[in-house]
Amino acid sequence: MTHTDEIPTPPRNLPDVCVRCATCMAVCPVSRVTPRFPGPKQAGPGAQRFRSASEASVDDWIELCTACRLCDTVCPTGVPISELNLMAKAKYLDERGRTFRDWLLVRSDLFGEWASRFSRIVNPLMKNRTIRWLLDKVLEIDRRRALPEYETPTFREWFSTRPAASEAAGRPRIAYFHGCFTNTNEVDVGKASVALLEAHGFSVIIPPQRCCGIPRLGVGDLRGAREMGLRNLSLLLPTVREGTDIVFSSTSCGLMLRHEYGPLLNLPGAEELAKRLFDICELLLRLREEGKQAVQFRPLPMRAAYFAPCHMKSLNIGLPALELLRCVPGLDIRLIEAECCGLGGLYGFKKEKYAITEEIGRDLAKEVARIDPEVILTDCEGCRMQIRQLTRRKVLHPVQLLRFSIDTHDKGERPLVRRQ
Amino acid sequence: MKRWDLIVIGTGLAGLTAARTAIEMGAKVLIIGRGMGSVTLFGNTIDVLGCIPPETDMEEGITRWIATNPHHPYARTGWAGIAESLSAFRGLFPPPYTFDTVGSGNSLVPTGAGTLRPTYLLPVTMTAGAGISEADTLIVGLKGFKDFQSDTVSLHLQCRGVNLSLPRYGLEGLTAIALARLMDEEPFRERLGEAIRHQMAGEKRIGLPAILGFRAPADVLKTLETVTGARVFEIPMLPPSIPGLRIFHRYREILIAKGATFLMGNPVTAAELKDGRCAGITVHNPPLSTVYRAESYVLATGRFLGGGLWADMERIAEPLFHLPIFQPESRGLWFRERFFQPEAHPIHRAGIVTDEYLRPVDAEGEVILKNVRAAGSILAHHQAIEEHSREGIDIATGDLAARRSLAS
Ligand code: SF4
Ligand code: SF4
Repeated sequence: MTHTDEIPTPPRNLPDVCVRCATCMAVCPVSRVTPRFPGPKQAGPGAQRFRSASEASVDDWIELCTACRLCDTVCPTGVPISELNLMAKAKYLDERGRTFRDWLLVRSDLFGEWASRFSRIVNPLMKNRTIRWLLDKVLEIDRRRALPEYETPTFREWFSTRPAASEAAGRPRIAYFHGCFTNTNEVDVGKASVALLEAHGFSVIIPPQRCCGIPRLGVGDLRGAREMGLRNLSLLLPTVREGTDIVFSSTSCGLMLRHEYGPLLNLPGAEELAKRLFDICELLLRLREEGKQAVQFRPLPMRAAYFAPCHMKSLNIGLPALELLRCVPGLDIRLIEAECCGLGGLYGFKKEKYAITEEIGRDLAKEVARIDPEVILTDCEGCRMQIRQLTRRKVLHPVQLLRFSIDTHDKGERPLVRRQ
Repeated sequence: MKRWDLIVIGTGLAGLTAARTAIEMGAKVLIIGRGMGSVTLFGNTIDVLGCIPPETDMEEGITRWIATNPHHPYARTGWAGIAESLSAFRGLFPPPYTFDTVGSGNSLVPTGAGTLRPTYLLPVTMTAGAGISEADTLIVGLKGFKDFQSDTVSLHLQCRGVNLSLPRYGLEGLTAIALARLMDEEPFRERLGEAIRHQMAGEKRIGLPAILGFRAPADVLKTLETVTGARVFEIPMLPPSIPGLRIFHRYREILIAKGATFLMGNPVTAAELKDGRCAGITVHNPPLSTVYRAESYVLATGRFLGGGLWADMERIAEPLFHLPIFQPESRGLWFRERFFQPEAHPIHRAGIVTDEYLRPVDAEGEVILKNVRAAGSILAHHQAIEEHSREGIDIATGDLAARRSLAS
């Protein structure tokens, strides 16, 4: 017996690295509820061994992967399972062709601003039973899925017309990537983010930006996703090059910008952007831990439940929102022990997949019922939409609650609906 | 930049236990795993030293074991360390889903291959499987569920076996995870219980695959026992292990609840070493590399599957801190001539040699890094597979590594 300190080279992340340990099967929300999807072990590295670029795809179940990426976070050998699935899905849909529905849904960023302007007409239409029946029959957008409402004015309009208190001299600048949904459907998340950042001494700027492109990845449209990525990089890189950090409040946009532009889409400048891009709670928590901010949270005596979105687990930064919320005196904050809300972004709007998303969500809904919180908090708009539909409870972004815990003039949306 | 008191590398049972001990002692803890860790692979029950005869009292057995194996990891913890850490582990599982011994030593429980395996602590859902006899046991499988073959199991155990079909639920093709999730629903398990009752011919015990739910396994057990009028037990299967997942979830729940930061899904790719200490480690989540710093570090990365050890054509190495590895001199000596034989292959004893405080040492016995400790199966001088000691070593050394880290 001897000692050594020579180092072999690490294995590469190929499907061959799969040791068939089935750990990924333990977390896949889809194979957990339906036998129609064989699960990550088979769908990813298993089937990959038999796929070839020159042959037609045979696995139509590949469309059932929601791209939650939970499998990636548990694999002991680093197999990029969800990426293998994505590539297979892209090839399958390239061959089969995408539906008009998919074409339309991934372009919601284009008609969002328009819908916001006419929200008073659009919102009732979206609830109209005949229209929902038509959407269901013609486009196969499930009529049971509540469609998000549009808001007037948009977040950008609100920001550009408010008094310019923001550019106070000598304050460090911070840029905010709000994402499409905050801009047109959940403006209050943007307002709360701005209020929190300003309370922490920042001067907030809103750089020009486009949809991050993650909806296009969802339908395997890699070229479309690349285009969105290239546009965003050209819009955002000037900001980071002048030394300004960017925060995001939408988990999935953040994951796309930070970890898909570079490793998956191979876009130039992606790493430069990633290095200066932070989840808003990640940034605020860091300031707190470094003792760099003097913001005191006021007590908020209430019971709240926090849900960690799948893409937050992929960001792999811990649960900064939960840690921040724990700093609020009086707030009884519990973690919802469920792996996935089930929505899967646009996946959950599609008729043929609705039952799957609902079944996945049932586990979460049961946990919520057990905790019986006054408010539910989660960083991702998809999760918020789904949890609202599953539980009919108040669901907010953590910054919307935290904003009430600091002294601010902007009172925004009330977090509390006391149930008597 | 935030400084943690302790960074634990590895989310297997050793890492989880180290993190838990530290957090209970009030430390700021960061735990990092490149995947979910080995609990879902092996962790069905808690083996401590299964190679000693079932009738031997565990304290007595371990004490003798340590006397004849002075380099074994158990020699670092002693029986007192083992007993204390096991009792802390049991504290994680309050009634009704508890972990207990059957008697004061090992008991034999059936496996999915139909063999009997010695183990020490059993979840309450498995205790009725200890010491079964052929005549009074019925093994129940499910049609279309390939992970568990009731005929194989019953053939080996020489008792009766049946396969149930529950067509209304569309069980064909469901995974163990999907079935366990259904078991959490009372109407489903009631129906299953009814179906089992119709198949019984006076048996007093029912063995099922280990799918008795996630949320409240003891309730699942109770329903099945009430409906069938027999004692019910679950039988471990191939991974992913549902009993193991229950353990993982419980640790993760308690760690996050008490304020630990839990990172999973990316490897630790580098360590910064300075003046005989570890000054920081790097986690790589492409395209970003993030450095984390702590006063102390516990290395609980396991062996080959966990990535704690790497083997190339000639050598075994520890890739993170480049620690020396106690190992056979050449690859030709890794395995004995016959692969399947009772005596361990020399490669299985390879690993990291430490001082009594679990700090890795070099060939001369000098401590290499003052603030790094090793725990779990990465340690040298054990043969966890042959000894049936995997979980015991993980729990006892994980606990000790955390205590030593915070004491210094
Ligand atoms: S977890 Fe990773 S190594 Fe294990 S079966 Fe899944 S892909 Fe393969
Ligand atoms: S990405 Fe999510 S849905 Fe797709 S295989 Fe992995 S765990 Fe399953």
